Amino acid sequence: MTAPLPKRIIKETERLQTEPVPGISAQPHDDNARYFDVMVQGPDGSCYEGGVFSLELFLPDDYPMTPPRIRFLTRIYHPNIDRLGRICLDVLKNNWSPALQIRTILLSIQALLGAPNPEDPLNEAVAKQWKENQGEAIKTAREWTKLYAQPKQ
Amino acid sequence: MTDISERPHKKRRFFVDDSPEQKTTFDPQPSLPDEIEPLPEANNYSTSNGVPATKDDGFDRETFKAVTGAELEEHAFQALQHEFGDNVERAINAFFDGSWKEAPAVKSPAPNGLHAHRPVSQSRSPGQAPTRTPPAAVKPTSTPPQAPALESMPGKRYIGALGVNGWSTKSGSGLLKDGDVVKIERPTQPTGPQKTAGRGGKGKQVGRKNPDVVVRFTDKRGYELGRLEQEVATWMSALIDQRVCLFEGHCIYAPERLRTNDTVILQLRCYLLKQTFEAGNFIKPQENNRQTGIFEAKETQDERSLRMRQIGLVKLFSEINLQPSKVNETTAKHKREGILQAAEIAEQYEDSSASNKKSTSDKSTPAENGGSSPPSEKDNEAEEGEELEQDQLDTLYKKAQSFDFDTPVAEPVKTFAMDLRKYQKQALHWMINKETSQGQDHKEQQSMHPLWEEYHWPVKDAEDKDLPAVSGQDTFYVNPYSGELSLDFPVQEQNCLGGVLADEMGLGKTIEMLSLIHSHISPEQEAAMASASAKKADGVNSLPRLSKGSSSIEPAPATTLVVAPMSLLAQWASEAEKASSAGSLKVLVYYGTEKNIDLKTICCASNAASAPNVVITSYGVVLSESNSVASAHGGNKGASSGLFSLDYWRIILDEGHMIKNRQSKTARACYELSATHRWVLTGTPIVNRLEDLFSLVRFLRVEPWANFSFWKTFITTPFEKGEFVRALDVVQTVLEPLVLRRTKDMKTPDGEALVPLPPRTIEIEKVKLSDPEREVYNHIFARAKRTFAANVEAGTLMKSYTTIFAQILRLRQSCCHPVLTRNKTLLAEEESAAADSDIANGLADDMDLSALLERFQAEEDEQDAARFGSHVLKQIQEEADMECPICSEEPMVEQAVTGCWHSACRGCLVDYIERQTAKGEVPRCFNCREPVSLRDVFEVVRHEDEDSDSEEEDADGKEAAGRLTSAMDIDADEDELYTSTQPSATKPKPPPRISLRRINQLSSAKITTLLRQLKALKRADPTTKVVIFSQFTSFLDLLAPALSSASVSHLRFDGSMSQKNRTATLATFNSRPKFTVLLLSLRAGGVGLNLTVANKVFMMDPWWSWAVEAQAIDRVHRMGQGQEVRVVRLVVEGSIEEKMLRVQERKKFIASSLGMMSDEEKKAQRIEDIRELLS
Repeated sequence: MTAPLPKRIIKETERLQTEPVPGISAQPHDDNARYFDVMVQGPDGSCYEGGVFSLELFLPDDYPMTPPRIRFLTRIYHPNIDRLGRICLDVLKNNWSPALQIRTILLSIQALLGAPNPEDPLNEAVAKQWKENQGEAIKTAREWTKLYAQPKQ
Repeated sequence: MTDISERPHKKRRFFVDDSPEQKTTFDPQPSLPDEIEPLPEANNYSTSNGVPATKDDGFDRETFKAVTGAELEEHAFQALQHEFGDNVERAINAFFDGSWKEAPAVKSPAPNGLHAHRPVSQSRSPGQAPTRTPPAAVKPTSTPPQAPALESMPGKRYIGALGVNGWSTKSGSGLLKDGDVVKIERPTQPTGPQKTAGRGGKGKQVGRKNPDVVVRFTDKRGYELGRLEQEVATWMSALIDQRVCLFEGHCIYAPERLRTNDTVILQLRCYLLKQTFEAGNFIKPQENNRQTGIFEAKETQDERSLRMRQIGLVKLFSEINLQPSKVNETTAKHKREGILQAAEIAEQYEDSSASNKKSTSDKSTPAENGGSSPPSEKDNEAEEGEELEQDQLDTLYKKAQSFDFDTPVAEPVKTFAMDLRKYQKQALHWMINKETSQGQDHKEQQSMHPLWEEYHWPVKDAEDKDLPAVSGQDTFYVNPYSGELSLDFPVQEQNCLGGVLADEMGLGKTIEMLSLIHSHISPEQEAAMASASAKKADGVNSLPRLSKGSSSIEPAPATTLVVAPMSLLAQWASEAEKASSAGSLKVLVYYGTEKNIDLKTICCASNAASAPNVVITSYGVVLSESNSVASAHGGNKGASSGLFSLDYWRIILDEGHMIKNRQSKTARACYELSATHRWVLTGTPIVNRLEDLFSLVRFLRVEPWANFSFWKTFITTPFEKGEFVRALDVVQTVLEPLVLRRTKDMKTPDGEALVPLPPRTIEIEKVKLSDPEREVYNHIFARAKRTFAANVEAGTLMKSYTTIFAQILRLRQSCCHPVLTRNKTLLAEEESAAADSDIANGLADDMDLSALLERFQAEEDEQDAARFGSHVLKQIQEEADMECPICSEEPMVEQAVTGCWHSACRGCLVDYIERQTAKGEVPRCFNCREPVSLRDVFEVVRHEDEDSDSEEEDADGKEAAGRLTSAMDIDADEDELYTSTQPSATKPKPPPRISLRRINQLSSAKITTLLRQLKALKRADPTTKVVIFSQFTSFLDLLAPALSSASVSHLRFDGSMSQKNRTATLATFNSRPKFTVLLLSLRAGGVGLNLTVANKVFMMDPWWSWAVEAQAIDRVHRMGQGQEVRVVRLVVEGSIEEKMLRVQERKKFIASSLGMMSDEEKKAQRIEDIRELLS
């Protein structure tokens, strides 16, 4: 299990520290450099504004040939994120490319928060609500954000 | 033929086995004339069958064992012995090819049993018209002088007596008794077709090919008593008819009562007639005997008479036991019997060679000559003569090579600007000696012409009675080779003022020759130079002038003509330049195309002072000018103004074996060139046939050997008869005075090498094929084996030889690179032969193979180069130093780009595309998600080397660079799809030029091995020069891009290049200061090239004979090489190549038997090779 860490992962990790992306942080575990604790701030102007969402990110052995595995730990009301925190995002699936990185993926997720897509739902109930009563849905999202995604003081 | 022209024999019919014994056996039982069958005419002159009589003890078992290494049982030996007589060589051959087992166990008598098996034999069917070229067209090699001695010669002069047997045609008692004088005479002798009434009253119209040879003896009144035995009559009739001899006879023994066909013994006194010594008696063969074309002519009636006369004289002299009192040393070695035999054999020989020729032309398989070499380019003019084997060649050379290290040296004149080694100075001395030896030795003591023999007139006759002496005439002279007689001393003419400089390659023949050019100039040139300098002092201009319209051949006393292969012209010119102090030698390279050059005018004697001293031209130019002289000037050489219009001071044929085939047009053209001194330079005066040497001798005009009939009589015929020792002995005597040959491995008396050459190591690098390659190989191998086995079974091995050979070729190619087996552009002639047979054996549409090959094959590039904007290249260039977007290596490892121009490491890119493909997805670009494919991945090649190179060249000087870069650029452009060059002026240190190349071509194991080795060499010494040989130019085509992608700068040299490009390529190779590889086709690289600048050699594929490879290696390992030479031979493990090495080894071992094989046997031998290859 102690295969040397590929240069790609080392470099990404370094850069995440030295050139952090505003509103995003990713911290590898001390005991597993492929396992990251991730924090993503809800984008301004969205119903997740003010929330700080925590995610877990794992780089599989054949990364970057295969995409990283990412899951929301923080509960979130979002048509493309299910109750288990799994994310429906093309770049994490078919549209993955080895040219993408942790940083770009996290940015994509942040963007997804800013632009929920109920047409391609993962959470049917949320999506339905989103389509039928968007105002209500946004309200719920705000509530959930306040409820679950408050930065720890 | 009259029925009784020969002694009647009992029931003689067309015996297949008419052995000599039978013919001469006396049959005491007369048979009825009506039953007499004429003998086959072929036997009229020959008492032997052209095959040495079989001796039971002639079979040398020891030799046989030594060569075959086989212990045979007694009956096997007997069988072999029975089959092959004492010809051990044949027995060995048969033993090796297994054919001896099929030979009938018992067959009598041996020689003819042999013939029955050999398609190419010397037997001939009875009644078949003899077709022959003139063996007796012997030009009198010295003119018998119009002798005053003739006047004092009596009408006839006794030379000896002999006893002969006759047989009576009359019966009765008291017709003849002991001591009776008989007249020896010929029936009135019509020639040509004659009508004779047979004794049985049947009129026979016999178209006689051979004249009647009846010699009868009559009583005093002229009544015929009987006739002489045919054996004697055969030659005696010719002597009588041609008024050479007169015979007086008397009876020694006759039975009391004479019956028809009784034996009568006669004693004959023989006289030479005066008129035979008279000029005009001897009908000379046409003077233009030497002219090309005559060789092929049939023997004329005159020539035939001459031959009969020659045979007659030699027989007579042997019968009367008259020994020459003086013979020339040269000829002393050859027994008279040999001469005779040769002359007689001529008849059978012609026949067999005729059928030989027929058989070769019938099935002109591509591989008739050259050991078991593959089909090779064949001269249109078939070569004749048998091939020699290495050991025979060695024997031949041994004598010529017995070089005396104490021979005097000559110092070259001061204008010669190079230092000569001692042995080179010795060569100079020898050459000057040869050129000036005219009459030198012969002034004091005239030596007799080598062909003549001196005889003393007998002073006493057979009964010991004194004979009348003729004052001042004790001797007469005979030329036993032509049958000429003379009373005057025949003087040897020293007519060859040149020779063969046959120093081994690398010893500096060119330099030696140039030293001669400087050191021995014609008196005319000397005078011209003196007067020129005088004129200069006077301030008088001498203008070129030539009496206009001169239609004779003009002397060119200041000019040496050098004829060399095209590829060496430049080398000659530059060597000549280097070897001469400034202005001392005017050199003209003559391509024959410069219309403004009138050689005749600029070289003629009146312009000697300004004439070029050396005119260098190629064999091709000689040939084409010869053709145009023949067509435009009706053969009048003087009327032309080119090469043939001059009589040079000296001619040098470089690589003289170019004219080894005397029937080739080139050789004939060269014979026609005129010069005072004639030289041939060659490392191999005999390539593989004795006839090779003849052509040189012919060019040199060495008498008498330049006469082909003569040559054939003495050398070819005995050799082909298996009398190798004698033939080779003669050749040695020809070679000895003519040839100077030193070899590289010669040691001086103090044990030093003649030319200290650095050592040479040869190692074999085993290459392991990759799996896909092995699949292709196995596929072809299995197929070839199947074809072979099928043909063995069907017994069609010989017929399908070409097919099988083509498959072998495919196999060998697949060892180099699988795609070679599918090369669309057929480059080598071998390959076109292969392609033809591909169709025949279905290889062409072999789907399995195609599938196997697919992965090696690149699609032709159809992309539009315009898609490649310069900005793209620039972007790619800039990205090169960036990190790989996939693995983050920085810079990228082997940058590669997609078809959408996104860069990554080659490995990452390929890996990603393959993963997607494996998942069943359409591979897309990692960056833009454009669909991509492996086929569209390009490797980015950076040309750091080339750039620095061209800069240096610019600095060095335009004249070299301008010439050289063009060749380089062609080279580079071929390899690369796209090229971008940064304007070098804008930046002080421009980024390297880059180009893109597809990566999808799988390399081959050999290429990979080569690259690995090259990289190691480059690391070890970045200035090393490497030469890479392959026999497949198509493989070189693949190597070039592989080298480019590995950033190994390389040059290409092959037979298809123009002369200019060759020169430029070689110059570049020599001058480029950094690691450079020269790709050379084995064949183009075979001749004359000097590549001593390199010291590493790679042989990419083995050739059939090691000698060819060795010759190629010697281009590098030759004089001038200062470093140790390392040769690496790449051989694929467990493949046909390994077996080829074994065949190469075996060739060396049993080579001696190959030379005596017929074409069929050689083929069989090659089949044997193939059997081994496919085992």
